[in-house]
Amino acid sequence: MLSISNLQASVEDKQILTGLNLEVKAGEVHAIMGPNGSGKSTLSQVLAGNEAYEVNGGSVTLEGSDLLEMSTEDRAREGVFLAFQYPVEIPGVSNLQFMKTAINNLRQHRGQDEINAAEFMKLAKQKIQQVNLDPSFLKRGVNEGFSGGEKKRNEIMQMLMLEPKLAILDETDSGLDIDALRVVADGVNALRSPDRAVIMITHYQRLLDYIVPDYVHVLANGKIIKSGGKELALELEKRGYGWLGIDEEAKA
Amino acid sequence: MTSLNTLLQRSESETSLPQTLKSFQLAKRSALANVLTPTRKTENWKYSAKRLGDMTTQASATNTSADLGEQIGPNTIVIENGLVKESSIDIAGITLKKFSALNEQEAELVTQGVIARSDGLQFAQLNHAQFADGLFISIADNTKAEQPLRIIVRHTGTGTSYSRVFVSLGKLASITVIEELQFADLNGSPALLNCVTDCTLGAGSRMNYIRSDMDQQEQSKIIGATGVYLKRDSFFESHCLGLGTQLDRHDFRVEMAEPGAECNLNGVCVTQHKQHYDNHTCVDHIAPNCQSNESYRCIAGDESQIVFNGRIHIHRDAQKTLGSMSNKNLLLSNSAEIDSKPELEIYADDVKCAHGTTIGQLDEQEVYYLKTRGIKDEQARQMLTLGFVLELVRANPVAEIAEQWENKLAALLSFEP
Repeated sequence: MLSISNLQASVEDKQILTGLNLEVKAGEVHAIMGPNGSGKSTLSQVLAGNEAYEVNGGSVTLEGSDLLEMSTEDRAREGVFLAFQYPVEIPGVSNLQFMKTAINNLRQHRGQDEINAAEFMKLAKQKIQQVNLDPSFLKRGVNEGFSGGEKKRNEIMQMLMLEPKLAILDETDSGLDIDALRVVADGVNALRSPDRAVIMITHYQRLLDYIVPDYVHVLANGKIIKSGGKELALELEKRGYGWLGIDEEAKA
Repeated sequence: MTSLNTLLQRSESETSLPQTLKSFQLAKRSALANVLTPTRKTENWKYSAKRLGDMTTQASATNTSADLGEQIGPNTIVIENGLVKESSIDIAGITLKKFSALNEQEAELVTQGVIARSDGLQFAQLNHAQFADGLFISIADNTKAEQPLRIIVRHTGTGTSYSRVFVSLGKLASITVIEELQFADLNGSPALLNCVTDCTLGAGSRMNYIRSDMDQQEQSKIIGATGVYLKRDSFFESHCLGLGTQLDRHDFRVEMAEPGAECNLNGVCVTQHKQHYDNHTCVDHIAPNCQSNESYRCIAGDESQIVFNGRIHIHRDAQKTLGSMSNKNLLLSNSAEIDSKPELEIYADDVKCAHGTTIGQLDEQEVYYLKTRGIKDEQARQMLTLGFVLELVRANPVAEIAEQWENKLAALLSFEP
């Protein structure tokens, strides 16, 4: 589904990704771990199409199409979804209006009619309950005054509504209590299917108890230096990153 | 340099006002000789004087239609070219009268309600001298009006009209007043609506004031003033929507006259084409322990111009004042202009007063966030632009008006929800 080859990217003239390779097939869940500053968030932003990041080498294809050539919105329409580490607050634009506009953009892209109001409300109520948020959150401004945990749940709610082919979770587990973590994990697990893929970027092994990955990768200095199965995460938890030759202190 | 008395059009003998108001007008007429017509050198008209044009050619507007036979809805009064139309509104505890029908005692209330510090209110002073009639609203002590009272202030035909509203709330009374400014039958001819509304709030009373100025006539001018006088523990909240005309000016004067009073002023202003909107607000903290909050958001597009001048004046005895003022502005084009000037004058030493002004463009982080969900760039920008003002619009206590404003703004900023 997703093929990343020798990807290099910089932000504000600082080279962050230095030749990253990754293959993600449909149906797979990949976890990307690594110390601070290793380039985890840069990878997610580059995949989502953040123009603040400059790609200066390599290629990324999504189901054979050149992802890097696509605009941010086209990537979303082709099924890429990024759950933000720090979702922005947009007072004045309600969650409902936001999601309805997004869904209609996706439907239009697929040549479908706009969603009817009743059908949309039913879907929205169902998904907001699935992430354990009160339906009143639908009427509020996007993330406006939400707590950290509520913002993360709102990201998962959006993901469930938009049903992406490729979901990228950028440290969605950070700062969550155990209940919220379960909600997030249940949301991701509900989305798992043979024709979808998930990339989870995380600091902690904890999330992987709830969402069991097919592969775990270690990112350091802008490239993947080690890959393995879920047992790699446990080993990282026990031994840290030092045994892989990464000076964690210097990076933090 | 010309004085505003050159614009006087009607002799004092023509009106059928009570004697108190006649004397008031007489005094104001002679005082006008000392009020200069604003030019670009006049500080409070610096950005807007150029829009005044040649005022001397404007004749009085005449009343044409006896009755427009329209559906005006419940609890609605029409003032057309300054004259109050007959209405059959009968609400317990509320007195509605034309100025011409006032007794001397009531007329006295009207003159007392006129904002004393009228320096800078050049055109309100002209209105003092010129109004032929007005609407008097008095809410008796302890009366809580359940339904909003709607006043349509309409100008028809060419020329200048002067309209006048006076609202007095008794002790512990409460009411919501909606003021809608409108133009009719202009036929492309220039028109100027000069409207003044004075509100006096008795102890412990509450008033919501909604001012809807959304009739965007390219040929028309509106110069309006709202004065508010707050007595002990009273509460005043305003929601103003202003869409530009050739010249649209609103002066808002609030006097925190007695302790414990609180006011919240909210305003939204959106202009396009070559429109012009000028907001001048001034909150005078005279008494201690009062609180004022002000939030204005403006969007200027095309070649339009918006002025925001917000003043908070904390007098020497107004200790423990809490004052805040926020003015956020969005420029949609390189040719649009916004001039924002907060002015704080503080003479008391134990106060908290904060102000903030921003002029900017959309936050690209927000645009990006919306785009990552598949929303087109242009649509994302429209949503955010609309959202910028909807935050305030949705705070309007009258849901029906909030919806009307939201629809109008959505259409104006070309976004269909």
